[in-house]
Amino acid sequence: MTVLLGDPVLEELRQILGPEHVLTGKADRLNRARVPAPFPVHRWAERMPDLVVLPASTEEVAEVLRLANSLRIPVVPRDGGTGLTDGAVPLRGGIVVDVKRINQIKEIDLDNRTCTVGTGINALKLNEVIARHGLIYPDDPASYPCSLVGGRIGTSGWSLIGSRYGHTRDLVLSFDHVLPTGRVIHVGDGIGRKITKSSSGYQLKHLFMGHQGTLGIATEATLKLFPKPEAELSPFWAFEDYDSAYRAVGALARAGVATFAGAVLFDEWKVDYLRRDDEAYIPQPSSVKALVCAAMYGYEDEVRAGGRRLLRIARSLGARYLGDEISEGDWAARHDRYATPLHGRTRSGQVVPMSWHCEDASINYTNLPAVRLAWHEIADRLRRESDVFDDWGMFAYTNGATGADYLTEIDIGIWEQRLDDAAWEAWVRAKRDLAAVTLAHGGSISACHGSCREGEVDLVPVELGGGYDVMLDIKRAIDPNNIMNPGKYLLDQAYAEKS
Amino acid sequence: MPDPEKRFAEEWRNAAYNCFSSGHKFCREVCPVMQVTRNESWSPTAFHANVVAMEKGELEVADVAADYVNCTGCGACELRCPNSLFTGDFYRFRTRTVDLVKAVRGLAVSQGVHQPGWQRWNLLTDERRHEPVLNGTPVDQARVRDWADGLDLPIGGETILFVDCEAAFYRTSVPRSVARILNLAGYKFGLMNEQWCCGGPAAEMGYEEQARRFAQHNLDDWRAAGVRRVLVLDPHDYITFTEDYPKYFGDAYDIEIVLVVELLAELIREGRLTPHVPVERTVTYHDPCRLNKRKGVWREPREILRAIPGLTFHDVDRVTQWSYCSGGGGGLPVEKPELTAKISEHRVEKAAELGVDTLVSACPWSERPLSEAGRARSIDVVDLHELLAESLGVAP
Repeated sequence: MTVLLGDPVLEELRQILGPEHVLTGKADRLNRARVPAPFPVHRWAERMPDLVVLPASTEEVAEVLRLANSLRIPVVPRDGGTGLTDGAVPLRGGIVVDVKRINQIKEIDLDNRTCTVGTGINALKLNEVIARHGLIYPDDPASYPCSLVGGRIGTSGWSLIGSRYGHTRDLVLSFDHVLPTGRVIHVGDGIGRKITKSSSGYQLKHLFMGHQGTLGIATEATLKLFPKPEAELSPFWAFEDYDSAYRAVGALARAGVATFAGAVLFDEWKVDYLRRDDEAYIPQPSSVKALVCAAMYGYEDEVRAGGRRLLRIARSLGARYLGDEISEGDWAARHDRYATPLHGRTRSGQVVPMSWHCEDASINYTNLPAVRLAWHEIADRLRRESDVFDDWGMFAYTNGATGADYLTEIDIGIWEQRLDDAAWEAWVRAKRDLAAVTLAHGGSISACHGSCREGEVDLVPVELGGGYDVMLDIKRAIDPNNIMNPGKYLLDQAYAEKS
Repeated sequence: MPDPEKRFAEEWRNAAYNCFSSGHKFCREVCPVMQVTRNESWSPTAFHANVVAMEKGELEVADVAADYVNCTGCGACELRCPNSLFTGDFYRFRTRTVDLVKAVRGLAVSQGVHQPGWQRWNLLTDERRHEPVLNGTPVDQARVRDWADGLDLPIGGETILFVDCEAAFYRTSVPRSVARILNLAGYKFGLMNEQWCCGGPAAEMGYEEQARRFAQHNLDDWRAAGVRRVLVLDPHDYITFTEDYPKYFGDAYDIEIVLVVELLAELIREGRLTPHVPVERTVTYHDPCRLNKRKGVWREPREILRAIPGLTFHDVDRVTQWSYCSGGGGGLPVEKPELTAKISEHRVEKAAELGVDTLVSACPWSERPLSEAGRARSIDVVDLHELLAESLGVAP
């Protein structure tokens, strides 16, 4: 149900925020409905909010939510809008609360090594400022150049170099959070903003991370900072078959090198994708079927020593080191690699602008090979069904220092210019199938993006079991009127049960 | 959908989808307008997405024309786009947001959708053949060479100096400095016979017919005087003469365009100019968007600065400068002066962080807004050409 907003609401919002920060234009609304997640562009108009507000403070966000709650108007928070799981896409119209103006750096605490920022700030921009103090905020998702801290909290994003420094859930120490009723709470470990450990009470911080906007809006966060690494080493190795690369990545992750920040395994499809007309990628002989890279961060002397150990391990498992130039170049380009629509190919080889859609899961190391085959089969089926789809290969990243489970993703190109209902249905079906493979192998549907999109979301209750019922109870308790991002995560069920 | 819009959507369709499909929007945090407004509707990616929406019949140009005011044409977004970085070289399909913005503005004007400030400004420019650079300043053909009073420069010749409206009527010490430096080096040049506005700003605001008319006048004037080479001190003119004019005139356009900053660096390199008067200032350099980002000219201004004795130069690398802008371009100051002021404040703030007393620019159009912002922070804004003239001992 789309809520039509009458003039009195508009007037009240203008009073709260100032008229120039309440946007009603169609282009304003269309552009706040859009994310890089699989998006049925032919049905764009169905995802539009009724209006957009641009608050500048926690208090303004609280007032907007109080008003929306009293009038039962849906609210969808939007930060960078770079999420890959539709969290920021309105399903029922209503108000989009775009927090990009809440982007001040409130404090940099050099002694405790933290900083407090508005959640509308971007990590790259923050790092430009704190670099002057020799510090870094090491949250490093693929969207690093444009995602915002608030969105990282809302999705509880995973980070590429998280094995070294921790992921968003570890790096965000605490934050101000506006509940759906408009009440403001502070969540974190302990009462202070800068405490990292506490066994006091429930661990609420994690509850208010990764809810995809269904439990409120984070507005001000205190972040953990680290010394800006003096040295970085990012060797890339080539392999002639996937199995050797797979064995090598496991060995690297298990080596226990302290400066180890992560390792990535590229399979044959991915290597093929990277080879496509990409001049920044130095061509590999056709015998190269898989790649592994590792990244290390720290002081020069410790990185060099750790690097020697990893190079030795890789070599003993059949790796061919690609050299400093390729390694450094490819690592530096890691954020830009994904977003190259001209890598799309039809079955006949025609180049068409396709968008990159990433389906991720958390998979135990031992199950990676089986999941890989099953997933490529699904991608192959899609491709046989329609030229709209392309298989852009798989990545697996280590997900923690132990390497027990890996963030595993398959990238599918989608030719959006040709999307129609039939292709969209095929896509949703494929996502459900990808998620089913994950569950069949004891994994989690998503390791970092969330799992509230059409298709995969159907299996979330299966993954969580009894936990899903608790999720429904929590949603109902915290958001009594179901105003926050209604429709996401099938949480409407919480209210159906109630009635 | 009206026919011109249909044709427009058809022309820009693939470019729009290439942006729309590229997932993450890395352009957003380098966009100067986005940095100060944080309004996503005015981001480079929204400008492309609107075209997708237009193609789908969701938007008409009248719905979005006012949004497209919010662009300085700096080009940072194009450089930061993964499509430019990765596939642009291969497919010659680099992201062209600046051209897209110009095209939408042109489409709007052709459909009778005007922005009031731009409409007024273009009427005045058409009337006077020059931009109304300052209220109350007499701006017309009769005064266009006043800046050169007493310099004894010839008119015409194989090489002439083209002086943009801002410098000719307002920042007159800039062209005077350039003229004195060139004289010092023994470099021969003359002035235009009848110089009109280059037409670039009109083109940027969507008034294409006027832009072409002015361009035709200038080209005719050059040809009549036997001009083969045009020296340009203003980065905006440099773009107009090297990108717009070839588009208007095709292969028939046979004029060599020389950027003064590049020429001066060369003269210093060859030893024909030797800065020797110490200039005791602590400076940083503001890369004009149209030089660094649009044309890749960033070495020569630094060469000149490093040649000046006495200067303490705190440089910011050119890539970091991708996200800097004065806010003075793309017609923004005409329609939204308050936004230009904010962008300038942001730029001067970056300079202040380096502990400098002077911000050096090489673009006459950036200096008014930057100076305004600099006053609040006691940072002088000076022109590179003037600084060099000072060190060469030739007062403007």
